Amino acid sequence: MADVMTDRTATLERLGRDRASVLRGLGFSDKIFNTLTWLAAVSVLLVLGAVFISLIIGAYPALQAFGFSFVTTAVWNPNTDKYGAFAPIVGTLITAFIAMLIAVPIGLGIAIYLTERCPLLLRRPISIAIELLAGIPSIIYGIWGLFFFAPFMKENVYPSLILAFSHVPVLADLFAGPAYGIGTLTSSLILAVMVLPFITSVSRDVFDTVPPVLKEAAYGQGFTTWEVVKNIVIPYTRVGLLGGVMLALGRALGETMAVTFVIGNADKLSTSLLAPGTTISAKIANEFTEAVGDLYTSSLIALGLILFVITFIVLSIARYMLLRLEQKAGV
Amino acid sequence: MNMFSKDTAANAAIAGKAERISVKDLKFFYGKHLALKGINLPLYDRQVTAFIGPSGCGKSTLLRVLNRMYDLYPGQHAEGQVMFDGKNILDRDLDLNLLRSRVGMVFQKPTPFPMTIYENIAFGIRLYEKLPKSELDGRVESALKKSALWPEVKDKLNANGMSLSGGQQQRLCIARTVAIQPEVILFDEPCSALDPISTAKIEELIDELKSDFTIAIVTHNMQQAARTSQYTAFMYLGELVEFGLTPDIFTKPKDKRTQDYITGRFG
Amino acid sequence: MAVLTKDMARYGSRKRSSMIAMGLCFSATTVGLTMLTIILGTLVVKGAGGLSLAVFTQNTPAPGNDGGLWNAIYGSLLMTTIGVCIGTPIGILAGTYLAEYGRHTRLAGIVRFINDILLSAPSIVTGLFIYTIMVKPMGHFSAIAGAIALAVIVIPIVVRTTENMLLLVPNQLREAASAMGMPRALVIRQVAYKAAWTGILTGVLLAIARVSGETAPLLFTALNNQFFSSNMNAPMANLPAVIFQFALSPYADWQKLAWAGALLITVAVLTLSILARWLGSRS
Repeated sequence: MADVMTDRTATLERLGRDRASVLRGLGFSDKIFNTLTWLAAVSVLLVLGAVFISLIIGAYPALQAFGFSFVTTAVWNPNTDKYGAFAPIVGTLITAFIAMLIAVPIGLGIAIYLTERCPLLLRRPISIAIELLAGIPSIIYGIWGLFFFAPFMKENVYPSLILAFSHVPVLADLFAGPAYGIGTLTSSLILAVMVLPFITSVSRDVFDTVPPVLKEAAYGQGFTTWEVVKNIVIPYTRVGLLGGVMLALGRALGETMAVTFVIGNADKLSTSLLAPGTTISAKIANEFTEAVGDLYTSSLIALGLILFVITFIVLSIARYMLLRLEQKAGV
Repeated sequence: MNMFSKDTAANAAIAGKAERISVKDLKFFYGKHLALKGINLPLYDRQVTAFIGPSGCGKSTLLRVLNRMYDLYPGQHAEGQVMFDGKNILDRDLDLNLLRSRVGMVFQKPTPFPMTIYENIAFGIRLYEKLPKSELDGRVESALKKSALWPEVKDKLNANGMSLSGGQQQRLCIARTVAIQPEVILFDEPCSALDPISTAKIEELIDELKSDFTIAIVTHNMQQAARTSQYTAFMYLGELVEFGLTPDIFTKPKDKRTQDYITGRFG
Repeated sequence: MAVLTKDMARYGSRKRSSMIAMGLCFSATTVGLTMLTIILGTLVVKGAGGLSLAVFTQNTPAPGNDGGLWNAIYGSLLMTTIGVCIGTPIGILAGTYLAEYGRHTRLAGIVRFINDILLSAPSIVTGLFIYTIMVKPMGHFSAIAGAIALAVIVIPIVVRTTENMLLLVPNQLREAASAMGMPRALVIRQVAYKAAWTGILTGVLLAIARVSGETAPLLFTALNNQFFSSNMNAPMANLPAVIFQFALSPYADWQKLAWAGALLITVAVLTLSILARWLGSRS
């Protein structure tokens, strides 16, 4: 008995020593792996920091030359080396705004249809189809817009728009001819199609956070489907929906290629939505590689900086709101 | 508290067993919440000790202190002493992985790793020992035999561990634990997700394993505690109410609360 | 009786407005699906017309000559591959930090937030960024700058999916592996990655899909090249830039090639996203 005991103790001791040395080695490799993941995580922050710093440095000559008036001046003239960001900033905000005006109701409508009405069998295929819209690269929207959508609007839609509003004050200016096809409204419409899937998929996700009991209780009270959506689902998910809309807005503000193809890259602001306009990203894409002179290049980088700051703010708000919804849902 | 230490000393004397793990004045905190309020308890060498009590009494918490599982989560900490082989398990600079290689654990839900049956077992062995293929095969086989799974899986060692039935998965997890030759094995309600037949097999297995390992088992099933253990600890609201030889606890409990619990008056 | 009829009438009107609202939602869905059909339809019709064997064997032509897109296809494949190869390991490691080592830390919270912003940040800004830190100091456009710009876009996508997929791995599995004395690094690499690999691969596929259509970040980095080049230190042709240049040109044969290129990219991107979705639903 005593022999067996000492034998076992000896075995355990040897095992313990072996393991301790193995684990020391593994512990070291664990530290290395831990450090690597930490470095990678920090590099994400560094990228953001580097983007900001490099843009600020690149934009510095322009910001120094023009000061704050860079933002408020509408002149963009390479010949006189005078640059102001007003027109592209306004163009960016307007195209994004109109795009949201169209995409939000349609995107929400699709989400509502998918969650409340769609036959189960079709739910997945339709969601996938809508998400495919988001998968199509923006340059495809661009070429499609240029060769298909813009001519289509020019021939079939804009003439009647011009005619219909020609005697209505304000609207007559907004929809003044001639109809080129390319211009602010065309860009907005294409942007709307592009951001539609983001709104739909975020809304669908946040609709799913509504506790089924709430809906069931409302249906039990004799509410109609629409009343349940209007009085229960939308109020309950308000914050998340707003987050989804902001997320889509962030995308719309920064979208480049689709807009570059169809906006017409005008240097001047026009009151008509049918006239060529410009946006920050379209201007950069069109002119950056051809820009001669430090001030010209620097002004384009300054445009990039402004775009980054605007989208950063919008996306931060979006994330903050979605985060709040997540906390509420206790995910 | 004094009463317990006298009792445990008496019990140890009866059994003539050595203490493998000694828990002394153990307090455990989830954040600020005190979940274990000063526990004193021995685990005797190569005996099965059952922790029973109503849910939330701290029995699982106690078990997870014994291999410092709680260290995976921030905000949880323990105070007091848990002596194992002359060292305090709760020491900050203790090598946790070494501890866990000596104190194995089997969980409530079977948790086969996402790999083949063979790999599930070889994985742990390979971690600590560099063995030639033939010897490794032998070790895998003996672990599977020890856990009474060998006849059922010997022809499909390369099948995914997830493809086994719940009871088989649990025995695979036991084999995996046994394979790395721990000294203590902790069972956290190992049968609560299993059917009666699988449960019987696991209980039988625990009985066999005690000739090699010191075992602690958390269970909410009193028959299971009575069937499998030599010692029983009854816990209630974070306190150890009573500890003793299993037959004594079940036939002549000293505390009113123990009596109420084992006769099914609450829980 | 009168009250009842009034109630019925009110219910009728509520029911009608519900039907109108839900009808509008249905129309919205139709609009979305129609747009997808029209876009894909145009693409197939116009793109198929430009497709031929020459597209895959010859380089981009001068206006009026015969040619293909081979140099652009090659450049896109090369830069996407390099970009993904640089971005994926960083993304997986960072995602691992967020889900494993750093899950509850303040740093992880900040990284998570910033990463989600980078995920939707305008890609043209990435182009400007790489231009300022690489192209300008080097004095010339280069394929490697293009690849790195793509890597910067890959990282946040892979970070997000890696973290999400690792969070889906049940904690019990981690506990079980830790309970055998496995150090965290092994628990992650041998158990968590094994359980989550299809999901992580999904993320990588989505990232490839995303960057293979990216144009804006390449315009100021890799630029474009009329000729075949595999020199990473020189401008390199790529499909998006060629499409951009050719589509906006006045030459019909260039426009035709642009459509063919557009079809190629779309087919590749949609195949990748469907593959990713299929993998994702399988795991």
